Amino acid sequence: MAKILLVEDNEMNRDMLSRRLIRKGYEVAMAVDGREGVDMARSGDYDIVLMDMSLPEIDGWEATRRLKQAAETKGLPIIALTAHAMAGDRDRALEAGCDDYDTKPIDLQRLLGKIEALLGQST
Amino acid sequence: MTEHASPRLTSERLIPGRGGLARRQAALLRLSTAIAAAHDEAAIYRSVVNGLHDEALGYNFIGVFVVDEATGDRVLKASVGWPDVPVDWRVPFGKGLSARALEDGKLHYTADVTRASEYLPSLNSGSEVDVPLRVDDTTIGVLVVESSEPNAFGAEDFEILTAAANQASIAIGRIRLLAAERRRADEHKALLDTMQDLVGELELSRVLQAVLERAVSLLGVTGGEVAIYDEDRRELVVVASENIGKNSTGTRLALGEGAMGAVAETLEPLIIPSYHEWLGQSGKYADVTVHAVMAAPLLIGRRLVGAIATVHSDPNRVFGPEDLRLVNLFAPQAAIAIENARLFTSERQRAEEQRALLATMTDLSSELELSKALQAVLERAVTLLGVTGGEVAIFDDVTQELEVVASEQIGKDSTGTRLKMGEGAMGVVAQTLEPLIIPSYHEWLGQSDKYADLLVHSVMAAPLLIGGRLVGAIATVHSDPDRIFGSEDLRLLNLFAPQAAIAIENARLYTVARQQREYFETLVENSPVAIVTLDREEQIVSCNPAFERLFGYTKQEAVGSNLDALITTEATRSEAKEYTREALDHPVHGIGRRSRKDGSLVDVEVLGVPVIVDGKRVGLMGLYYDITELLRARQAAEDANSAKSQFLASMSHELRTPLNAIIGYSEMVQEEVEDLGHDELGADMQRIHTAGKHLLSLINNVLDLSKIEAGKMDVYAERFEIRAMLDEVTATARPLIDTNHNELIVRATTDLGSMRTDLTKVRQILLNLLSNASKFTERGIITLEVAREAPLTEDGPQLVSFGVSDTGIGMSPEQMDRLFEAFSQAEASTTSKYGGTGLGLAITKKFCQMMGGDIQVESASGRGSTFTIRLPVEVALAPAGSISD
Repeated sequence: MAKILLVEDNEMNRDMLSRRLIRKGYEVAMAVDGREGVDMARSGDYDIVLMDMSLPEIDGWEATRRLKQAAETKGLPIIALTAHAMAGDRDRALEAGCDDYDTKPIDLQRLLGKIEALLGQST
Repeated sequence: MTEHASPRLTSERLIPGRGGLARRQAALLRLSTAIAAAHDEAAIYRSVVNGLHDEALGYNFIGVFVVDEATGDRVLKASVGWPDVPVDWRVPFGKGLSARALEDGKLHYTADVTRASEYLPSLNSGSEVDVPLRVDDTTIGVLVVESSEPNAFGAEDFEILTAAANQASIAIGRIRLLAAERRRADEHKALLDTMQDLVGELELSRVLQAVLERAVSLLGVTGGEVAIYDEDRRELVVVASENIGKNSTGTRLALGEGAMGAVAETLEPLIIPSYHEWLGQSGKYADVTVHAVMAAPLLIGRRLVGAIATVHSDPNRVFGPEDLRLVNLFAPQAAIAIENARLFTSERQRAEEQRALLATMTDLSSELELSKALQAVLERAVTLLGVTGGEVAIFDDVTQELEVVASEQIGKDSTGTRLKMGEGAMGVVAQTLEPLIIPSYHEWLGQSDKYADLLVHSVMAAPLLIGGRLVGAIATVHSDPDRIFGSEDLRLLNLFAPQAAIAIENARLYTVARQQREYFETLVENSPVAIVTLDREEQIVSCNPAFERLFGYTKQEAVGSNLDALITTEATRSEAKEYTREALDHPVHGIGRRSRKDGSLVDVEVLGVPVIVDGKRVGLMGLYYDITELLRARQAAEDANSAKSQFLASMSHELRTPLNAIIGYSEMVQEEVEDLGHDELGADMQRIHTAGKHLLSLINNVLDLSKIEAGKMDVYAERFEIRAMLDEVTATARPLIDTNHNELIVRATTDLGSMRTDLTKVRQILLNLLSNASKFTERGIITLEVAREAPLTEDGPQLVSFGVSDTGIGMSPEQMDRLFEAFSQAEASTTSKYGGTGLGLAITKKFCQMMGGDIQVESASGRGSTFTIRLPVEVALAPAGSISD
C-alpha cells in the first residue's frame, strides 16, 4: 500500500486526516513543520506528500520548492492543502511545484481521488 | 465728465526695485489726487514729476516741458533727477528726442539711447519715453522719462505715463479754461460797473419818472403813469406815477385790465373820454378822480415793453389827435429806456450767473462728500435765482423714494425727509421727469403734508437726470406771495440741475464701488479659508486673517514676499511652484503640505485660480484650507475599518479551525460507526456534520460579504475550460441534489471553449444556485443550461450564460423584489424550513457584477424558478489582478 507523508502543524487536523487515511488502508507518516517535512521526504520512503501551506520553520511553498529542486525528490508528487480557499492559492501552490491542490476542510472522497490519480501517474 | 482711463497695472517689472502692484496702485492714486488738487499749472507740473518719482513706481529722471507758443521752444517747468538743468531751461524747436512727440502728438519710446542724455550729461546711455501733453487736440508740452538702463520700459510704463500725461493735460485744460472764463467774467463786470458809474441816471424808474413828468407838462394833463411789461407773468407793473390822485407804483395789471392793459393787448393807442363810464375800467383805479384817459403801448419794434397813460381830472378836458401825436413822441423814449435797463439788468445777471457757476464747479471738484456738494449747489442756486430757499433730494431706486439731503431756508431743516413718487413738488417731477412751476403751493392739490407747516408760496422743481435716468430732484421756493416763477427762472435752474445730478451720480458710483469692495473685503476678511493674492511675479499682494492664523505670518511680513519661499519647504517647493505656475493659467486644486512660520507643517487643501481683470491675467489667488482634522478623521476611519477587516479575517480563521475539526471528526466517526454497524450513532453524527457544514458556509458568506463591502474582494482572472469547470461543480453539487431526490440535467452546447474570469467566484455562484434549487425542490428536475451568447450591444463583450431552473416552490413577485438583498430570504419562515443564510444570492449578484455580468430571475409561486447569469467571456479588470495567461 502507498506510503503518505502528511506535513501538517495542526495537531487535530493531523490526527483526523491520518486516521481517516489509515482506515482507507494507507501507511501514513507525519511531519509537524516544513523543515521536518523536507528532511523526512529526502529519505525516499514515501510515495506522495500532503503538504499544508501555512507551516512554521519553512512554509509549504518553500518546502515544495526545495523538494522539487532536489534531484532525488523532484519526482515525488505533492498535493497542497490550504485552509484559504482563496483565489490565487491554487496558482501559488502550482507555481511552487505542487502537482495538485485541495482545500480544507477536507472532502475525503475528493482528496482520495486526487491521491489515486497522482499515484497512478507515478507508477 | 471726462473719463479717466486707469492704467492696467500688471506684474511686469522691468524697472528694478519697483514696488508691488498694490504699492504702485497707491502711488498712482496719490499722483491723480495731487493733480486734481492743483490750483495752478505750476502745481500740476510739480505734481506730475513728484508723483512719478515715487519709489513704488521707480522712475528717477523725469521732466515736464511746455511749448512756448511764440518760439516753439520747449520750456522745462518741473523736473527730478536733472540737477544741471534749471526751471525755464529751453530746448529749441525740433531738437532732441522729445521733439518727435511734439510733431505727431504720440508717445515715443527709445529703448536704446546710445548717446549722452540731453538733460543729464552724466547719463551716457539708457532708454527714454516721451509722452505728449495734449489739450483740445493741440500738443502743449511733453513729459520726458529717462532711465540709465536700456530697455527699461514696457507696456505698463506706457500706460502709467500716458495716464499721468492725460490727467495732467485735462487739469491744465481745465485750469486754462477756468482762468479764461474768470478773466472774461471779471472784464464784463468791470465794464458794467463803469457803465453804471457813467450813466448814473440809468436806473429805470427814475428815467421813466423823468419821461413821464415831461410828457405831463407838455401835454398839459393832470397826471399819468408808466408801466413796464413783465414777460414771464404777462402783466404790466406800474413803475412811475404822477399826480393821478395816489401813488400807483407797484400796481400790477393783467393784459386787458384798465387802459394800459387794453393798449398792451391791442398794441394800439386808446382815448377814453370818460373813464368811470368806460366798461373796461379797472377796480384798482375806482378811487381816483380821473375823467379822460389817453394810453399808448411802449414798443420796441413790435415787441411790447410797457405802456404809458395820461389823464385829465377836469371833466371839461378831453383828448384829441394832437395829444396822441405828442404822446407818440414820448413813448419811444420810454420804450428805449426800459429796453436799455432790461439789457443792463440781464447782462449783470448773466455775469453773476457765470461767476456763480464757476464757483460751483470749483466746489464740486473739491468736495467729495455728496451732501456738502449738493448743499453748495443749492446755496448758489438760491442766491442766483433770488429765491427764499430750496431743497435737493436724491432718488433711492431701491425704495423708489426721494430723500432730501440739502435744504436751504425753507422754514425748517427738511434733510432726511422722504418723499414717495408723486408726493409733493419734487415727487411729481421725479415721476413726470419734467420741470414744474407751482404758483401757489398751499392751493396746489399735489402738496405734501410734510410741507404743510411752511411759509412757502410758490415752488419751482426740476428732476435731476443722468442720461434720462432719474437720480434726484431740486426745488426752489418763494415765501413772498408777490414773487412767482417764470421761464427765466427755469432756465437758470436748468443750469444747476445737471451739476447736482453729476454730483449725485459720482457719489453713487463711488458708493457702489466702495460697497462692492467692502463686501468682498468682508468676505475675504472673515473667510475661514486662508486667502492670498499674488501678482504675476508670485509676490504676495494681500492676504486675509485666516492666512495669518494658518501660517503664522502677519500681513506686513507676508505682503511683498514670494509665496512659495514663505510657506514651502525643500521637500514641497517644486510641487508648490508647479501649482503656482499652473494657477496663473487655469484653476488648480490639490492636497499638499505647507510650512508655517515656526517651521511646523500643516496639511492643506490648495486651490489656485488666475485673477483676470479686463481680460488680462494680473496674478493669481491662492486658497488654503487646513485639512489636518479632516486627515485625522479619515485616518481614524481607515484605522477602524482596517481593524474591522482584521477582526473579521482572524475571527473567520479562528472559527474555521475548530469547525474543521468538528466537521472532520464527525465525518470520520460517522464512517467508523457505520463500519461497526452502530447505525443510530451514524445518524447523529450526520446531524453534527451537517450543522458544522452549515455554520462553515455561514462564516464564509459573512466573510465574503464584508470583504465585498469593504472593497477588499478582488476579481482574480484566470483562463479555464468551461466544460471542466461544470463537471467539477456538478460533482460537488451532486450530494445536495440527491438530498431531496432531485434529478439534474445539464444542457451545454459543444462550442463552450474556455473563458477568462474569476474561476472561484463562478464556481461559488453556480454552487449557490444549484444548492438553492436543490433546497427548494423535492423530487423535481433541476436543469443547468450553459451557452455562449452574442454581445448585448454592438461593442459589448461576448457572453456565456448559465441558467439554473428548478421545478420547486417558486416565488411571488413580492418575494422576488427583495431576493438579492442581504439577509432576506424570501420569507422568515423559509429560513427555519429550508435553512440557509440569506446571503447567498446577495453575494452571487455582487460577484456577477464584479465580473461585468448580471443575474436575472423568473419565477412564479408553485411553478419553480429560473436564475440566469450572463458573464463576459473575458473579464475586464485592472491588469494588476491578473497573473495567469
